[in-house]
This record gives sequence, structure tokens and C-alpha cells, in this order.
Amino acid sequence: MAGVLFWVICPKENATALLSLIPRSVKQKRSRLCPTLKFSTGVSAFSSAVANPARSSEEKVYEVVLKQAALVKEQRQKKNLDLKRAAETDGMTDWDLLKEAYDRCGEVCAEYAKTFYLGTLLMTPERRRAVWAIYVWCRRTDELVDGPNASHITPRALDRWERRLDDLFEGRPYDMFDAALSDTVSKYPVDIQPFKDMIEGMRLDLRKSRYKNFDELYLYCYYVAGTVGLMSVPVMGIAPESKASTESVYNAALALGIANQLTNILRDVGEDARRGRIYLPEDELARAGLSDDDIFFGQVTDKWRNFMKDQIKRARMFFDEAEKGVTELNAASRWPVWASLMLYRQILDAIEANDYNNFTKRAYVGKAKKFASLPVAYGRALMGTSKLFDLSRT
Amino acid sequence: MTTFHFYSHLLPLPTTSPTSFKTLIPLNGIPKFVSSPRHSSPSSLLCSSSKNKPSPSGDNNPSDFCIIEGPETVRDFGQMQLQEIEDNIRSRRNRIFLLMEEVRRLRIQQRIKNVKVINENGNEEIDEMPDIPSSIPFLSYVTPKTMKQLYFTSLAFISGIIVFGGLIAPTLELKLGLGGTSYEDFIRNMHLPLQLSQVDPIVASFSGGVVGVISALMLIEANNVEQQEKKRCKYCHGNGYLACAKCSASGVCLNIDPISLSSASGQPLKVPTTQRCPNCSGSGKVMCPTCLCTGMMMASEHDPRIDPFD
Repeated sequence: MAGVLFWVICPKENATALLSLIPRSVKQKRSRLCPTLKFSTGVSAFSSAVANPARSSEEKVYEVVLKQAALVKEQRQKKNLDLKRAAETDGMTDWDLLKEAYDRCGEVCAEYAKTFYLGTLLMTPERRRAVWAIYVWCRRTDELVDGPNASHITPRALDRWERRLDDLFEGRPYDMFDAALSDTVSKYPVDIQPFKDMIEGMRLDLRKSRYKNFDELYLYCYYVAGTVGLMSVPVMGIAPESKASTESVYNAALALGIANQLTNILRDVGEDARRGRIYLPEDELARAGLSDDDIFFGQVTDKWRNFMKDQIKRARMFFDEAEKGVTELNAASRWPVWASLMLYRQILDAIEANDYNNFTKRAYVGKAKKFASLPVAYGRALMGTSKLFDLSRT
Repeated sequence: MTTFHFYSHLLPLPTTSPTSFKTLIPLNGIPKFVSSPRHSSPSSLLCSSSKNKPSPSGDNNPSDFCIIEGPETVRDFGQMQLQEIEDNIRSRRNRIFLLMEEVRRLRIQQRIKNVKVINENGNEEIDEMPDIPSSIPFLSYVTPKTMKQLYFTSLAFISGIIVFGGLIAPTLELKLGLGGTSYEDFIRNMHLPLQLSQVDPIVASFSGGVVGVISALMLIEANNVEQQEKKRCKYCHGNGYLACAKCSASGVCLNIDPISLSSASGQPLKVPTTQRCPNCSGSGKVMCPTCLCTGMMMASEHDPRIDPFD
């Protein structure tokens, strides 16, 4: 499961192209299903899949996105009536401990994801801390199945981890990092479903090491990276003057998560193969005339180059989808999101520059190039939402 | 690779059978039966059990055990009496010791068999000595050979400097100030206080040496701290434990009794009492799940729980 969490947070981009992948008739049906899903909190988004067995992963994921958007609207109305969540906890909130917890989250982030950490420095301080807390939770979850103790992980352990997640969402965090996330969750309207889906993704990764088609891979990418996009949308905030729908912003965030994960996968083909895992769709490999053994062998052939070209093209398509929505974000959040999008996109360029050799070479974007992207990202961030062009940052 | 370990937990565990036990070691008068593990997988480590020691039911079943702590796990052994707890700890430590010894012997066999294979393919020296990490900032590992080289180069350097400073420089009347000026002219040109030019040469060389030594030591120490920090688990800072959030690391929680708060008016409000925090059992700390309380960055390095005698 290499490369699950080496993504850079890039929430909220429009995903109109994603919508175009879904046939029109299904879209109509879904909007009718929507109202029933809106108020079924705690019900897994996939329960409706039982009634409709032959739905693609993209449709299922879209349903989750719609539910998220609906919940945000609900929470905006409820927010004024809610009592301060701290009153519900039966412990004493120690602000020093909380501050220390957030600081440690920052340290962990700086240690394990340096570029991402630098990106968070471009955000406002509150958002930065919230993003760190989310990152640390995601990383800890990932290390359960991918870290040094992975051999001792059982489904029961993941169940317990999920119970801890439920507790912290109700204001009863277990340890200090849970406390940081609990505080974040009380300040921003973050929903629990993406977190639960991420744990589900970990469960999936325990079982699977091959993906038959892109549909399965898409679901996996949603679980491990799309969820992160959905988690961070409420933290980044949608610009108040934005006329785009909440769903489209969430879709864009989802697309960015998927794009990041696909980039990770394409960059780490060799590394994953050495651990016996192939995160490429088997049917597409077969269509290109490649087998698992070719990947394990690690030889760059023309077949491989053609295959990689198509994969990179698809990843770029997701990035384009994501790009369409960064403008709908809160003005203060646009710069870091743009920066991370551009930096991650450059990894695809680096793979091409390595002559598609992702077996032995690691596609790497140099520091100079990273720094050069910052002013470009700043320039793009200054452009407001597509409906309202504001020259000054609000 | 994680999938294989995962499934090994679900395999039916081999039971102890009389024909396969290797040693019968009486410890504290209680004979312990140790079976030779048939599979060298993690699950078998937990299957060898002794029949005559007191233990709560179900704790020998590895599929019940879970490495992630939850709010109620601290109380898993809460029903036991103190003597029972001590007996349990002692028996488990004995088991650990015996198991580690078994692993060591198995590894000897493994190494022997591996060497046989390697020797058939070619001569390969197996270096048994551990690598000594160097304390000099830019050097990675120290071996006896590099030690000799270090001695040689440093001796050469020192004698070279002494010869240069003592013989060559005065002979050539080297003036190393800016633009070939002498010391006094240099001081004057730089507009530094003039008493600097009156400094006694012995004092000057002594202070220069002290400054050099102190900065070198500081550099090495800073580098050492950095190296040690790299080995620490980043989540718990090497402590192995995280602060319990329920009691904010204090160990006590407020007793909030919802019934009494809504009790009939006229009765005075009760002073809130504190109770021992159920999360951490009053210790204020909970397990760090990343390093499994080892405090090390990779719990697998030098942790006997993961890889004894590696």
C-alpha cells in the first residue's frame, strides 16, 4: 500500500467531467434518491447498492459526494442552535494539551510529508492546524495496515479503531491526537463518513492486491484519497460569493484526490511491485499486452510506454476536472490548493521525463521547480470565482 | 505481504502434542511444556501454552488479542487479584524467554542452511559484526579500516599544520592578512580595536585551539542528537505513550452524574467528585499505537517483540 498518504491536500475542484462520465438517465434517478439519503445519517452510503447491484463505483462514490454536500447544508442551518460541543464531553478540556497536540501534529506532518507541510504553511493558522490533525489521523490509520506493525493488524483492530473514531466524533477522544481531530471536527463541519470510508479502504487493502478493472481501482482511490478531499472541503471553506453548487465543489475535491492517488500509483509502480502489489487495472494491462510478470520484471518496453501514456492521460484528465473548481474556494485557501495541484501534476511530467521508467527511477520534482510553481499558483489564486472576478484578495 | 501475515492469524493453531515438545523445564515448581513450533509464523508464537498456570479464560486465544487499545481495554485484566497478576506476569516473561531462545536456535539453523546455498553459488562473506555508526557528521559507518585511515589523515594534518605554522610560515615571512599585510596592519585596516594586535602569541594560539575544540565537540553533539532523534517515534517523541485525552493526562475525571443534576430543587448541588480516569486507569497515558510503546521510529528495529536476535 505504498503511496497512500503521500498525497498533497487539494480539496475542492469542480468535477463536471466526472458528471459527464455518468449517463444522463442514471443522473435523473439519483436526484430522486437524494432526499431519502439526506437524512439517513449513520447509514452507509452503499446500502442502496443492495437494491441496485450493477452500479459502477463512480456512481456509488457520487452518491457519497451528494450526501456530503447535503449534510453541509443541513449543518449550516443547525449551527446556530448547537450548544458548544465541549459541554458534552465528560472530561476537562485542557487547552495546553490541545495546543501541544496540534504542535505535535505539525511535527509529524513536517517529518513525513515535507512538501505538503510547506504547502500548509501557506494557509491560515487555524486551517493549518485542522489540516494537520486530519493528516495525522489519516497517517496513523494508514500505518496500521502499512507500517511496521502491519503484520499484527486484524479486522478486530480496525473495528476498534473505528470505534475510537466514533467516540472522538462524539467528543470523547482517546489520546492526544484524537483530541486534536475532535477539536477540529467541532470547529469545522466535517462529516464522519469519509473517515469511515477510509477505514473501509484499509480493510479492502488487507484483502486485495490486484484490481481487475478501473472501476475497482477507482473505488480504492476514492477510499484512500478521495475521502481526504471530502474531509478537507469543510476546512478549506467555499467562497461565500461562489455561485457553484456545493456538490460540484465536492466533486472537484474528489477528482483532485483521485488524481493524486493515480499519480502516486504511477510513480511507485516499481516500489509496489517489489512488495507484491500492482495497483493497475488488469484488463487494461491485458489490452496493452502486458502481464503481471512484465511488471515484476521491470523492463521498460514500447508496450509499457504506450500503456503509461494512456494512464498518464487519464490522470491528467482528473487534474483538469479538479482545476475547474479551485476558484470556488475561499480566497485564503486557493493559493495552497493551487500550489499543491501544480506540484503534484509535475510528477506526471517527471515520469515522462524518466522515459516512463517508474520501475527503478523515482519521478522527482526538484526544489527549484517547486519554488518556481509558487508564484504561478499565487497568480492563479488571485483569480476569483468564475462568476465574480475580484482583483483583490478578500 | 501483509495479507499473508493476516491470514496466518486465522489458521488453526497447532496444539501442544507430547511427541513434539523439546524441553520440560520446571520453573518455580510448575512444569512448563514448550512445543516446537511447526510453522515459524507469528501465530505459533502465541500458541505454545502451559497447562498449569492460572490465567483468565480466553486470553490464550490470539484471535481475541488486538493491538489497538480502546477505551475499555485497560480493564481487560481488571478482574484479577494482585497475586494473580504477578503470577501472570511471571509466567508470561518465562514464556517470552523460552520462545526467544527457540527463535535464536531456529535462526542458527536458518543461517546454516542459507550459508550452504550461498556457498554453492559463490564465496560470500557474512559480516557478523554490527556496523558502528560514526559520530563525525559526514561519515556514515566506521570500520577498523576506516579508523586506521582516520588516524593517519588526522595525524598527517596535525603535523602538517605544525610544520607549516612553526617552520614554513616564519621562514617565508608569510603575511596572511588581507592583501599580504601583517597582523598589525590588518587590525589597523579593519578598524578593529588596536589592543588586538598586542595579543601574546601563546594566548592567541591557546584561545584559537579552545574555540576549535569546543565548536568541534558541539558539532558532534548536535549531530548525535539529530541521529538519536531520527530513531525516535515521532508520535510519542520516544516516550512510548501518548497523553490520555479523557482526563487530559491528569489521571482523574470529573464524576458527572446526570441524575443528580436534575434532582428535585431544594437540595443543594453536590460538589463534583473526581474518579480515576477509566481510559488510562489513572496513569494519564495511553499506548502509542504507531510504535507499540517501544518509542522507536520503526518498532521492528531492535525490538525483541518483533525480531529477537536479529
